[in-house]
Amino acid sequence: MTAYITRRIIQTLIVIVILSYVCFYLMSLMPGDPVDMMVASNPKITAEDVIRLKQLYGLDQPTYKRYYSWVSSIAQGDLGYSRTYRIPVEELMGPRLWNTFLLSFISLGVSILIAVPLGIISALRPGSKTDYVVNFFSFAGISIPSFWLAIVLIILFAVKFPILPAGGTQTIGSDGLGFFSSLGDRAIYLILPVASLAIQQIGRFSRFTRSAMLEALRNDFIRTAKAKGLDRQVVIWKHAFRNALIPLITILALSFSGLFSGAILTETVFAYQGVGKLVYDSIIANDYNVAMISFVISVSMVLLMNLIADLAYGFVDPRISYK
Amino acid sequence: MIRTFAKSFVLVSLAATTAFAAPTNAELKIGISQEFESLNPIIMSMSASAYMYRMVGRSLVNLTPEGKWVPQLAKEIPSIEKGTAKIIEEGGKKKITATWEIIDAAKWGDGKPVICQDFITSRTIATSNNVTVGEKEQWTQVEKIVIDPKNPKKCTFTYEKAKWDFYQLAQFFPLPTHIEEAVFKKYGSQKEGYEKNSNYVRNSTNPGLYNGPYVISEVRLGSHVSFAPNPNFYGKQPEIKKIIVKLIPNTGTMEANLRSGTIDMISTLGMDFDQALAFDKKAKAEKLPFDVHFVPSVTYEHIDLNLDNEILKDVKVRQALLLSINREDLVKALFEGKQEVAAHNVSPKDPWYTVDPKVVTSYRYSKRQAGKLLDEAGWKMGADGVRAKDGKKLVLQFQTTAGNKTRELVQVYLQNQWKQSGIEVAIKNEPARVFFGDTMTKRKFGAMALFAWVSSPENSPRSTLSTAAIPSSKNGYSGQNFMGWSNKTVDSNLDALDVEFSAVKREANVHNILKEYTNEVPVLPLYYRSDISVTPKNLKNYKMSGHQFYETNNVENWTLN
Repeated sequence: MTAYITRRIIQTLIVIVILSYVCFYLMSLMPGDPVDMMVASNPKITAEDVIRLKQLYGLDQPTYKRYYSWVSSIAQGDLGYSRTYRIPVEELMGPRLWNTFLLSFISLGVSILIAVPLGIISALRPGSKTDYVVNFFSFAGISIPSFWLAIVLIILFAVKFPILPAGGTQTIGSDGLGFFSSLGDRAIYLILPVASLAIQQIGRFSRFTRSAMLEALRNDFIRTAKAKGLDRQVVIWKHAFRNALIPLITILALSFSGLFSGAILTETVFAYQGVGKLVYDSIIANDYNVAMISFVISVSMVLLMNLIADLAYGFVDPRISYK
Repeated sequence: MIRTFAKSFVLVSLAATTAFAAPTNAELKIGISQEFESLNPIIMSMSASAYMYRMVGRSLVNLTPEGKWVPQLAKEIPSIEKGTAKIIEEGGKKKITATWEIIDAAKWGDGKPVICQDFITSRTIATSNNVTVGEKEQWTQVEKIVIDPKNPKKCTFTYEKAKWDFYQLAQFFPLPTHIEEAVFKKYGSQKEGYEKNSNYVRNSTNPGLYNGPYVISEVRLGSHVSFAPNPNFYGKQPEIKKIIVKLIPNTGTMEANLRSGTIDMISTLGMDFDQALAFDKKAKAEKLPFDVHFVPSVTYEHIDLNLDNEILKDVKVRQALLLSINREDLVKALFEGKQEVAAHNVSPKDPWYTVDPKVVTSYRYSKRQAGKLLDEAGWKMGADGVRAKDGKKLVLQFQTTAGNKTRELVQVYLQNQWKQSGIEVAIKNEPARVFFGDTMTKRKFGAMALFAWVSSPENSPRSTLSTAAIPSSKNGYSGQNFMGWSNKTVDSNLDALDVEFSAVKREANVHNILKEYTNEVPVLPLYYRSDISVTPKNLKNYKMSGHQFYETNNVENWTLN
């Protein structure tokens, strides 16, 4: 087991290095570098300014040299400097990563807590009224575009019935409040964005749970367990649900891997200070340092969550072993 | 149960009515949709940063909404007539020296006086090779600053060239030497070392960094900036006790934020034109307590023609393109007449503006005349409704920034009008990043490119019209004459304009340029854009400028009574 984990971690690190170079190279292929963008927006930039700035940014160097320089800085703990926001990357991304994590984690948690029981109930009574109702709302949740849902929620709960804030991360100036007041304030600002994200995820997860449970309930060992006279709860939870968990773990692991990637539409509509829009803007503005850090975080999360999923399979299904 | 529900309903309804409570001088929340960066005046480059910086920082001079240069930190603007500026000759080169004196009451937020050394500090830092200031010329134009030994607030600037606009130093901001000099000494030798460690980044709420009517009390990049009055401001103390500028990146939700009371007003950098038009109607119909302002600006929306294109090399084709489009109808149909048809690149807010027929050739919509010119150019109407010459169809590529709703609507409108004159237009739009970062800067556009120039009154059009500004690999693609237009009369007038100290002669130079510009049609002028903002009805003394020196220059006079 330890050898397996060590091997996977080494593989993960190698994949991160290779993918980061590929990403760096692809970004360098994009038309227009940061200086070109500056020239386009400022007619007074001269040819001398262009040469000076390209040298300063290292844009006159080949891609591999720039990549080496970037990796060297990272190795020394310097994440670089955002040329768009004019501040160090760690200061720019730190609070936003935390905000995005909070939003994604809470919405994912809420979704799982609601969707998994709904999916199981639906699977236990296929074709029933309950099943139809759950299916109807699941499909509705999946089909509604998130930006539309977000705007509807704002109009309903911030404009028509102004009981919740239309957007933001926290009340301006609330930093000086006590811990619990601050916590309550943050919670109020999270309600609408979490609802907007969770409604979609609930639809998706309840459909996956329903289908995984239905599949598990069709197995011979379930019939045997029932024939043995086992308690219905034991059959559902110990035998059926445990077997249904394997596909669910895959889906959940992939969802968890996006915890730090940000929900660009939701964050933008709710003016929520997360990384989603920051990453998009940094790619568009050629802000290499910000874009690369967020890329490395995303890749690392995907690989890490896949490793965790692989390990979790073994705990859920004793037939799976690691070599 | 019913009683509880009714109680909740009443509470919620009450809350709904209080959402439109008029803001008071206690606090004003302004919505913007554009991102901002750290507010170091020598490094910042975003419009939203400039909008906010004007609340906390002032420069020697400023341009009023009426387009007049007035002193701000300076006691007066030096001039040759008054003898406070002189043309000198040094090493065979004509230069200017000007005496500037900073007003006695000008102080930084920590009470330290604003002195000439602060301008030397900013110039020294901005011209360092390790600091990423985009345009160095605005700093290097001042070759030397010599402080009067008897008065640290009085100094003589020596300018490297004798140019008439030497006094237009609205972006020559001072930096507090007592705070920033130490940072530069410590980190200035490292690449980007100063900007990473500047107090504007590390300690942005230090009041000593600002000399305007407000100081910054809180900065959250990507969220908001809070401002509090600066007790050491040299001018009138601001009426509004707290201002918050809040970023709402999605313009679609700007109105909802306004209606919910999250913000009290929408800045010039907040709303799209179509949204403002719709909101204006709603505000009037629902009697909402907001004013929607549409103010003509110096932003010039136009189509650059690529003169390397074989079809567009013929001036008759270019003139026909302009005659084929009904721009009066376009602004009525799409903008309800709230944006004005452009005659050329100089806006009506500029003292150089003219529509005198002796100077400017105007092109009123005439399909018949356009057809005649195209016939003369050899482009005959084909059976399929598209003109052709020597078997080649009159097809032109038309590009703009993808996703810009207004521009895409304008494109379709024009495409239809050109079709009626037998000109086929193929639309090929690109994301702004590719369009501006590559296609335009490297002159890769096929024939026509629709975009806007933002300028200021009495601004030399050298960077967009001179032959030397045609982007090429030789000049590092640094010019903005994307058309590739080369005209000797224009070049000589541009050279003369820079060094002409007579206002009358300068106007004549510009009019000579406009004559060539409107005769040769290297660009199709469309319309001058209007700036938009939404303010609460009780906001007084608010005046939009229509140029890049925003209304926040006047923020100390705003009042909410």
